[in-house]
Amino acid sequence: MFESLQHLITGFGIALTIHNLFYCLIGAIIGTLIGVLPGLGPIAGIALLIPATYNLNATSAIIMLAGIYYGAMYGGSTTSILLNVPGETASVITCIDGYQMAQKGRAGPALATCAIGSFIAGSIAILGLVFLAPPLAEAALAFGPPEYFSLMVFGFIVLCNVTGSSLIKSLMMAVVGLIIGTMGIDPVTGDARFTFGSMSLLSGIEFVAVAIGLFGIGEVLTNVEKPLEFLEGKVLVPRLRELYPTLQDFKKSIGPILRGTGIGFGVGLVPGPAPVIATYSSYMVERKISRNPEEFGKGAIEGVAGPESANNSACQSAFIPLFVLGIPFAPPTAILLGALLIHGVSPGPLMIGQHPALFWGVIASMYIGNFILLILNLPFVPLFANILRIPKKVLLPLVILFCITGMYTVNNSVFDIWMMLLFGGIGFLMRKLDYEGAPLLLALVLGPKLEVAFRQSLMISHGDFRIFLDRPISMGFLLATLLFLLIPVFRIILKSTGKGGGFRGSTGGNKA
Amino acid sequence: MNRDEAIGGILIFLFGAVTAYCSLSIPLGTFRAAGSGLFPLGLGILLMGLSIVLLAKAYVQRKPISEKKPRSEVPRSTKQVIFFIGAIVLATLFFKPLGYPLMWFLLLLALLRILGVRRWVYTLSLSFLTATGAYFLFVLWLQIPLPKGWIGL
Repeated sequence: MFESLQHLITGFGIALTIHNLFYCLIGAIIGTLIGVLPGLGPIAGIALLIPATYNLNATSAIIMLAGIYYGAMYGGSTTSILLNVPGETASVITCIDGYQMAQKGRAGPALATCAIGSFIAGSIAILGLVFLAPPLAEAALAFGPPEYFSLMVFGFIVLCNVTGSSLIKSLMMAVVGLIIGTMGIDPVTGDARFTFGSMSLLSGIEFVAVAIGLFGIGEVLTNVEKPLEFLEGKVLVPRLRELYPTLQDFKKSIGPILRGTGIGFGVGLVPGPAPVIATYSSYMVERKISRNPEEFGKGAIEGVAGPESANNSACQSAFIPLFVLGIPFAPPTAILLGALLIHGVSPGPLMIGQHPALFWGVIASMYIGNFILLILNLPFVPLFANILRIPKKVLLPLVILFCITGMYTVNNSVFDIWMMLLFGGIGFLMRKLDYEGAPLLLALVLGPKLEVAFRQSLMISHGDFRIFLDRPISMGFLLATLLFLLIPVFRIILKSTGKGGGFRGSTGGNKA
Repeated sequence: MNRDEAIGGILIFLFGAVTAYCSLSIPLGTFRAAGSGLFPLGLGILLMGLSIVLLAKAYVQRKPISEKKPRSEVPRSTKQVIFFIGAIVLATLFFKPLGYPLMWFLLLLALLRILGVRRWVYTLSLSFLTATGAYFLFVLWLQIPLPKGWIGL
């Protein structure tokens, strides 16, 4: 422990040099802007900025790119709250209550709560990263394929339960996402699946194309369908005096912030889009334990504070598997892995010993970056809220152009733009037919890992499905999954016996 | 049966059926050593099953499965969406020959006009200024290799 502290102090010495401080600041600012701009998330943002770091040393480069990652997490919530367009996938859940708060003229408190919650969560998570990294990484290592499989199934069911108004429809979207995730080269055998002879499809469908298409383009098209006078009339302009949270807001938020931090930190250590799962888990927990669950989905501040804290906490702890195991568990850390390799750093168990300046410097810079982001975000909440003052007639075309730019920069490929447009059209249709995009997206990211875990588990057990029940952690996740599946059934039974009227939550009613 | 539920259910059922059918042409293997086609085959069948449940429930209940909000009073402008998508498709088609800044300028100009921003001076200047800004930001400062097109920028 003292050794870690000593290393951290050395790390602060590295991170606080003018050079690195400058790149930390630049990363935080660019990250926030990227997060704020709809359609440009941390994945596209980091991919966009990697070429700009070629002339930097590895430590400064990763400090800047990591700053973009967690900066985008801060900024991503802004578009969720103000425009109902998640700046990045982890902010999808923030749309539910954040946008409702904005509709009620409480965009400012929602944004400020995000900034404060993110700072507290980020700071605690970094301390956890420093002191708990070795034992927690060891615990995550104890997860075998059956545990990963059950955990991911659990994640899906939680997600399907919390999104949309129909559990069946959400499950259908999750399965569609899993199917799309199987396209390309099979990770186990190397066979090409559903590529239809296309070379571009060999590497599968680009996750960013689906994300930007479903959420960015789909939302824009939905807005464009409205007549011109409605486009102009829907612009929200929050009043300046309503921009800061009240003491009551703080009291309501502190519990969800601390719980979200814990959930996020734990989820960040296991595979998958940790911030996405963390936000959904946190939202679910807050809704379950709330005295007023009916307020969720209608602008409950707890529904913003918890998930946003979980999001940032998970984002910080996701660096543990990346640095310690060399395995990126989320798409943005996968891009960071690419950046590390470009700069000649191979993350893994030996990284701390081989590149201590980089490891501890980056960790220390995260704390500084979080502080910068708090300073940057809190006083400038009105500035970011001003995005709403841009007429939608101008904003919507600009969003499209940023989406095209961001999409092209990921692989320098026009094919990806076509994919993004295709999924934009699908997203538009899904909105019209009342299907949710979030389960599809999560399934797409987790799909390949889920399939590998499933097949590896069966290989270990020689085709015996009982392996998922024989292992205690796996069985625990499956039991929890069953519980979540049964909740809507219980609701229906209670409703049909005339006792369940009070159970109908805003997003959870009539789930089956 | 609700028309939207039926359309959605049938489309997704077909997607599941096509997935299952195509999976059969990929090695399936056994549970002990699953082939590449086994997982997508299972998913296709599962999706078909879920679609049937959705369609059956929609038929039995004869009302929307989900708590969909009543159809908005807002009249829909399908023509606007078609023009909007058409402009984006054309811009993507000619992205490489036009080059990034020119594509930005022309697409933004077209989209603004489609969305009813009528003042030419405003649309032209906004398109030009943002195209220039994007060019300086992405091409010159960040040095992202975006298509230069025939104007060579």
